[in-house]
This record gives sequence, C-alpha cells and structure tokens, in this order.
Amino acid sequence: MRKEESLVEHLDWPLFITFMVMLVTGMATLYSVAYDDLHPAIYDVSMMYGKQLIWIVVSLFLGLIVFLIDSDIYRRFAFPIYGFTLLLLVIVLFMPAVHGARAWIGIGSMGIQPAEFAKISTALLLAKYISGISVKQQNISSVMTASAILLVPMALILLQPDAGTFVVFTSFLFVMYREGLTFDPIILSFVNSIPGVRFKETWVGSHFIPILFVMIFISVITLLLNSVQLDFFFLPFPVSGSIGVISTLLIFSLLSILFLQRFSAKRERTRGTVIIVLGFILTSSLSFIVDNGFNSLATHQKDRIELFLGLREDPNGKDYNRNRAMAAVGSGGLLGKGYNKASVSSVESNHVPESETDFIFCPFAEEWGFVGIIFLFGLYLFMLIRIILIAERQRSIFNRVYAYCVGMILFYHFAINIGMNIGFAPVIGIPLPFFSYGGSSMMSFCMMMFILLKLDSQRKDVLR
Amino acid sequence: MNFDIRRYVILAFIILVGFLYTFRLFYMQVVDDTWTLRAHEVAEKRIEITPPRGVVFDRNGMKIVSNRTYFNLMMVEDEIKHLDTAAFAKLIGWTVKDVRNRFKEIVKGEGTYYNKITGKRTSNYQKIRKYPFLKELTLEEISSIAPHLENFPGFYEKVTSMRNYPFKSGANIMGYLSEVNREEVESDRFYRPGDNIGRSGIEKFYERELRGRKGIKYIVTSALNNAIEPFADGKYDTTARQADPLKLGMDMIIQSYGEKLMKNKKGCIVAIEPSTGEILAMVSAPSYDPNMLVGKRNISENYPKLALDKNMPLFPRPLQAEYPPGSIFKLVQSLIGMQEGVITEDSGFPCDKSMVGCHNHPSARNVAEAVQYSCNPYYYAVVRRIIQQGKKKRLFADAEYGLNKWHRYMTSFGLGKTLDADVSGQRPGLIPDAKYYDKWYGHHQWAFSTIRSISIGQGEVKLTPLHMANIAAIIANKGWYYVPHFVKSIGRKGPLVEYRTKKRTMVNAKHFWPVIEGMRRVVNENGGTARMARLENIMICGKTGTVQNPHGEDHSVFIAFAPMNKPKIAIAVFVENAGFGGTWAAPIASLMIEKYIKRKITDKEKEKRILEAKLAYISTPGQ
Repeated sequence: MRKEESLVEHLDWPLFITFMVMLVTGMATLYSVAYDDLHPAIYDVSMMYGKQLIWIVVSLFLGLIVFLIDSDIYRRFAFPIYGFTLLLLVIVLFMPAVHGARAWIGIGSMGIQPAEFAKISTALLLAKYISGISVKQQNISSVMTASAILLVPMALILLQPDAGTFVVFTSFLFVMYREGLTFDPIILSFVNSIPGVRFKETWVGSHFIPILFVMIFISVITLLLNSVQLDFFFLPFPVSGSIGVISTLLIFSLLSILFLQRFSAKRERTRGTVIIVLGFILTSSLSFIVDNGFNSLATHQKDRIELFLGLREDPNGKDYNRNRAMAAVGSGGLLGKGYNKASVSSVESNHVPESETDFIFCPFAEEWGFVGIIFLFGLYLFMLIRIILIAERQRSIFNRVYAYCVGMILFYHFAINIGMNIGFAPVIGIPLPFFSYGGSSMMSFCMMMFILLKLDSQRKDVLR
Repeated sequence: MNFDIRRYVILAFIILVGFLYTFRLFYMQVVDDTWTLRAHEVAEKRIEITPPRGVVFDRNGMKIVSNRTYFNLMMVEDEIKHLDTAAFAKLIGWTVKDVRNRFKEIVKGEGTYYNKITGKRTSNYQKIRKYPFLKELTLEEISSIAPHLENFPGFYEKVTSMRNYPFKSGANIMGYLSEVNREEVESDRFYRPGDNIGRSGIEKFYERELRGRKGIKYIVTSALNNAIEPFADGKYDTTARQADPLKLGMDMIIQSYGEKLMKNKKGCIVAIEPSTGEILAMVSAPSYDPNMLVGKRNISENYPKLALDKNMPLFPRPLQAEYPPGSIFKLVQSLIGMQEGVITEDSGFPCDKSMVGCHNHPSARNVAEAVQYSCNPYYYAVVRRIIQQGKKKRLFADAEYGLNKWHRYMTSFGLGKTLDADVSGQRPGLIPDAKYYDKWYGHHQWAFSTIRSISIGQGEVKLTPLHMANIAAIIANKGWYYVPHFVKSIGRKGPLVEYRTKKRTMVNAKHFWPVIEGMRRVVNENGGTARMARLENIMICGKTGTVQNPHGEDHSVFIAFAPMNKPKIAIAVFVENAGFGGTWAAPIASLMIEKYIKRKITDKEKEKRILEAKLAYISTPGQ
C-alpha cells in the first residue's frame, strides 16, 4: 500500500499526462487514417486501429507491471537483459525476410522486432556502465567500452538490414557526450604524440559529437536544398539553397548572441559570443564548401549522392514517397482539412505509402494543418525538455543516463521521422513514437517511458 | 570536471530542431502553394461528362438530326477473373483469336500517349482503368450481350450517344463527325482524345454551337484511381449542358423530295427563300445516307467506299462544283447593260449568227424578248457595249476599264467569291477581271473580241449552284439579297448577324422588271425555252441554260423563282450531262416549286418521267 501511495505521490504527472495525451492523439490519428466504413468500431481487431488498441492495452499492462516491480532490477539485470536482446538480434538474422529485411521474429502482425527492444536494453547497460565509472576513469578504455556497448547491437541491426534503427543508435553518442565520455582522450593521444605539444583537452575533442552532428545536419540540409530556389515571402527574388541555409544560420547566431547578452553572466558572455561567431563562420563556410563541392562533382557522383538523399526529380519514381508525403503535409494549410478528411494520405487513398506507420505525420499534418502541428510540436518539445529536466534532477547517475537515453532516442525519432515528411531528412524508415502503427515500437516506447517514470518516482529512495 | 553545462547543448539541439521544423512547416503549409497544388494533382481527378450534341430541326419543326443511344463494352483488366475466352468470343460473335488480338491492341494502343519530353510513345495502360473493348454497339447488339455479362466480371456496358439522321437526307450539307486528331486536342482545350468533332458541312460550321458544355466533376481518388468521394462535396462541379437546338430554314419535305427527283442523275438543286435568304433545300446528287458515317465503326467501313466512288458522293456539289453558268448568265448581263445605260429595256439587236451560233427564233426587239429567246448574238452586242464603252481612246485600255466595271457589278451579285453561307467548304467560282486576263494574254493584249464567250456564260466564268440560286433570289427581290444560310435560329437567338444584313446589288430595282417579264415568258409563253416548267396556278419565272461541256453531253441548267408577284422560292437546278436546260432542269425545278408551295404534285406524268429518268449510271451504296 505504501508503495502505491508513493508512486502516485512521486510520479511526474506532467510527463505522464503528456505521454497519455500523445497516446490518445496517436490512436485518434491512426483511427482517422485507416478508417473503413465497413469496420467503424475502433476496437475491431481486423483493422489496424483495433490491433493498435490491443498493443496500447498490452503496453499499459506492461507499464503497470513496471510500476509494481522495484526499479532496482533494471540496474541489477541490465547485463542479462542486454545479452538476451543480443541473442534475439542474432536469432532474427535466421528468420525469413519481410520486405527485404530480417527484422521480425514470429509471423505477420504477431511478430516482434527485437531491434526496437534493443534500444531499451542498450540504454540500461550504458546507464549501468557509465554509473559504475568515476570521472577520473574517463579515458580511452572507458570510451571504447561504452562505444562497444553500442556497436555490437548496431552491427547486428545493420545486418538485418535496418538503416533507420542503426541511425537511431547514434543518439547514445549524445548521452556519452553529456556524461563526458567524449572522444577527446583519443584525439589527445594523437595530438600529444607531437613533440612539444601538451594539451589537457581539446575543444573540438570534447565537443566532438555535437560538432559532428551540426556539420552533418548542415551538410545534408545544404545538399537537399542544393537545386532548390527558395522563394521567401518577404524577399522579392528567389535565393539559392545554400544562401538560404547561411542566412538562416546568421539569423540564429544573431538571436543567440542577443539571448546571451541579455541572460548570461558577464564572464560567460564574451566566451559564448566568441563560440557563436566562430560557430557561424565554421558552419556557413561548411555549407558553402558542401554546396560548391557538390556542384563541382562529376555527374555520376552527384547522381549517387542525390539517389542516397532521395533527391531525384522523379515524382513518380524514387522520390515517390517523399513527394507524396510533402504534398499531403503541405496541403494541410493553416487549419487543416479536418478530422478524417485526409484525401491524400489516408490508407484508403494510398497516395502516401506507409501513411499508417512511418509517414503517419502526413495525415496528422493534412487533417490538422499548421495549428495541429503547433500542438504536436508543443507536446513533443515539452516531453523532451521535461525528460531532460527529469534527467538532471536524478541523484543517481544510472537514472540520469537512462533518462538521457530515452530523451535522445525520442528526439531522434521525432527529428528524423518528421524531417522525412518535410524534406529535411533522407527517407529512412523509423516510426513516430506513440503515433505509428506497430506493436513492437509501441510496446518498446511505452516500456521506455514507464521505466523512466518508475525510476524517477523512486529517485529519492536510493542514492546510487 | 563538470559536464552540467552540456545539458544546454542538448537542450539547444532540441529547441533548434523544433524551431527549424516549425518554420519549415509554416512555409510549406501556410506560405507556399506548391505542395497544395501537388496534392490536388495527386489526389483529385477531373471527370468530364460530354453532353449529347445539339439536335437540329427543320423549318417545319421536324427533328432532322438527333442522337441515338449507343453502348460501349468496357473492360477493367484487374477485375477480370477466370475469363472463358471461348465463351466470351461466342457471346460477342468473334473468334477467340480476335478477342486475344483486341486485348493486345488495347494494351498497346489505347493506353499509349505521346510523351512530349521524351519524344516517345509511352504506354499508359493501367490494369485498373476502364477501356472500351467494343465501341458503338447498338441497342440490339448490346441487348444480346448485356444479360450474360454477369458471367464475365470485369466487363461493363457504358452508354454513349451518336448522331442519327431519321430522314437519311442532306448528307453533304449536314456533314459528319469523326474523332478529333492530335492537333485539335492540342489547340482546343475542350477536346479530349476520343471526342468527336464536326468534320464537314453544318456540323463543322456550327461545331461550337452544337457541342454544348461539358460537365466537370471533381472527385477524390485513391492511388488506384478509384473514386472515393466528391471533392469539396461537389462545390466546384459543373453540370453538362446540351447545346441549344439549331433550327434550319431547310424544308425537309422538299429536301428529301429533291433527293428523290435527283436519283440516278448527277447534279444539284438549291432552293432559297428570297425574302430571308434561308436555304430551303440543297440537294447534291449522287449522295449517301448520312447514317453511313456515324461512328468509328461505320466510318472505317464506309468512308473508303464513298471516297473511292467515281461518282463522288462525298463531293458537296452545290457548294464546291464550279460550272460555267451558260444562258442563265444573260439575266445578269441584261441588268448590267441597262444599269450602265448601254442599252434600254427596248433595245433590239438582230440575231446575227455570224459571230456566234443561235437557234431559230425571231430577232429580239427588247430585253424581255432577248431573255425569252435566249438570243446569243443579242448578248454579244450587249456585253460588247458594256466592255467597250469607248471611255478610253485605246481599245485595250477601254476593254480593261469596261471589264473591271463589269466585274464590280458581278461582285455585287455575290459572284466570283464565296457567299459565306453557314456551311463549310464553299468555293468562290470565278468572275474574271482585268488582272486575270493580263495574266493570260499580257497587259493590254486583249479586248472584248478575245473574251467574248463570257457574255453567254461560257469561257472563264464559273459559278457554283449556290451562286445560281442566289441570282434567282436577287431577281425575285429586285436587286437585293440576304447571304444564303441554313440556320434560322439557335435556341432563342435568331440567325447570326451577318445573315440579317441586306446586301444590295449595283442595279436599280426598275431594271429588273423587263428581265422578270422575259423570265415569265420563258416558262409561260409559247416560244419560251422552259415550257415544261409551266404550272397551272403558280406563275413561275425562269431561265434555262445549256452549258457546253467539252467532255460529253451538255449540262442542263434552270433557275427560277415563284410565284412571280410574291416570290416564295428561288431555285437553281443543275443536271450534269442532261442536254438542253428546258428538258430536265426546268421540270425538276417546277416540281420542287409546286411541292414547296402546294405540297402536292398535279402533273403526275411529269413527276414520273423525272423519277424514272436515268441520266447517269450510279451505283452508290446506301442510295
């Protein structure tokens, strides 16, 4: 009895409510997308929404179990859980391929995707490992060990092959970054091998991960916009893609400097401004170099990159999915077409393939328009920021690392999935958490959240 | 080392992506229209509904062109299951091989379109689309197929409409429809491949008035092209509207009577109501049953036959055949002579056969007698005076001056140019002017003596039968005419404005009386050349002509109007290779006039003689 009271008392209600609202919104969206006049009941298990409802109920039941079990077991059994999912990842490679990938154990809709659960087990093991090392031990070997925890499941997932989930695993690099497990020791060992050089740390080395990702992000955006003429409503003439990227960067840099001048301590101010100015110079020259470098490539090399990015001007061919998806999203307008009125992306019309799974953002955007997007983004950003805040208030490093893992995984899914729908990310199939149809992803995301909520509710019980 | 500051880096990432995506979505959804348009393109289909073509009535309110329901047998490959080809072939009366070939043909042919970008023919065939397997089945044909279609899933019947001509007449005038070609599809957005367009005659001239307005339905479709629901609850849909009916001035009774009279003859009849310019009948012989050229099936079967027929049934003679007018031209010459003052109505000339041959008759003492006797030497003298007026010192210059003046008169009669009637395919005929002869003989190298044969309507002069009938109408009106036309009204609107303006000739009304008197005598006096056209109680004024034909028997011509005092009909009859004008053309004209005014024929013997006459060996299909 006491335990349950403490759960109700210590549960992070804002996060829990956001989570539940998202489940309801997701379910409503799926019901609208896959709606069939002949099977109007939402619990009709022959339909996708009926099945999804079952998955949600199962997930809630799992959540209840998670709430009842003492959270200590995740820490204690982190390694066996990790080992078990690795075993599943190996077994799945011997399963028959579905759509060219050996991702499923079991048959049809009752199958599970071990890769989805590998995210949780990897997060748990990473948390356990990082919580076990002290700051002093952050050297080449600890960085390598942490990387190995990620690389083994990543390699197995790449063998399926499942590029989307593979990319999602790189989100753990951000967690390592937050915990100070950067690649700085490796870079230092190279740099300090030069006679006469003795660095304690390198800025590039310690911020290697975010810098890398900023560079990748800016390069991809530049390439995606390479052949596009951007028409801004406030500009009388179209601008080329790279200029658009650079000017956006400039606006953001100026805004951040303003922000710094206003809100930060004087000491931080100069340093921050220098970093932002340097950052702007670096990123805009990167964008410029990528843009020009790409243009100077030979045609066949260009082709290859364009194919990879799904940039071919072939609305009915390779670029079919993205093109249709963007048409659906864009046609939503300010207020949307209304619930159950998605004419482009409903499952029935089938103009956007996979609109119930990886492209479920389309019908949402089409039906609710920009206003709906604000709501959805509000939910997601609130959830992500709340998770970071929760992470930071944990006394236990295990809890903090795990919370960061959950936050970064969700952030990755959010950024890549929606990026796919709006032409900002290459089309790699990963689901939108709590929205996309699919049992494994639904259960895995829910479990992740429930474990986080449970760990957080017990944050004061133990000090680990 | 404290890594707490790094939480802000991560938070910055999250917020940055959030804002970036928000801006992007605001741009995509609210600012930029591109994706909305693309979505319309992807998900919405325009369905066009072609209304039945406008119908056509004659002046008595009889429906002379209507539409008949036909059926297409459509197929959707995706829905065909376990097709028993043999049974299906038996049902539609084909061989199994034909059915297989038709399938191949549809896959290869029906779905292909010309891709402008690649310059290749690309197959657009889709298994989920409907394609016509059999086209233009009649009610009888489909009624033997339709009851069994439930055994053949994937096959449907679809209603369509095509022209129907209940009177089987006026083929050359009405024209026919055929499928649009690529240029027409590209130049006019109304048409889609497979649509029909007026190819000739009235159907072509009044294409815009007859085709109506297409209905457009917008529907939301799936990627498989299935209709899901009307777009925006049908807010932007328009309904198809059939065109207003055309009412013709044509009198179907005399039109079909005329065609009956012209059986086994080559030539034409054109009848005009002088007071309005409305064309009452326009017979071209030989002709064909207009129903022979309805629909693709009929056209592909019958068109080659008609086109290769040496009697040229497709040739619209009243509009396109250019004949020398012969003696009927003398009427116009008399009028010009009197108006120019080179003769008066009482001028007489001896019948001097030294210049040109003539038949035996007393010398004409005035214009009326000259018309009555159709005296060739008289008109040599008259036209010489018109051409050589002595206004210029040199003979050649004088002839040039005179001929040009004469040409202006002729033009005022609507001759030597197309009359611009509301039917496509008219020819201008030929009235030579000075320039014309300069080309032949050289400048100032010719005089009246060179060109004298024009005075009796031979030589270079050429008129179409429509021109000839219009001369009769002008004389009936004493000097003016409305441009001959078919359409009396379109829906509630009257005829086009160009048919409501009087055209005046350069000849005063008073000069017409002696000519009309002469024409009366031609029919009604002994010694006239068209006594066979005489009617008991209708005063016909007419003029015969016999057109010399170097290739064979002379052509028989007759123009007339009746009754004399209050003309109701002006008519021209042209019978090829029939000899003297009074023998064949005149009685045909009188039968037409009597039929039009009295609706019955009193002289059955005359009618029988015409109906039985075979003046040409014609074996036209459908006649």
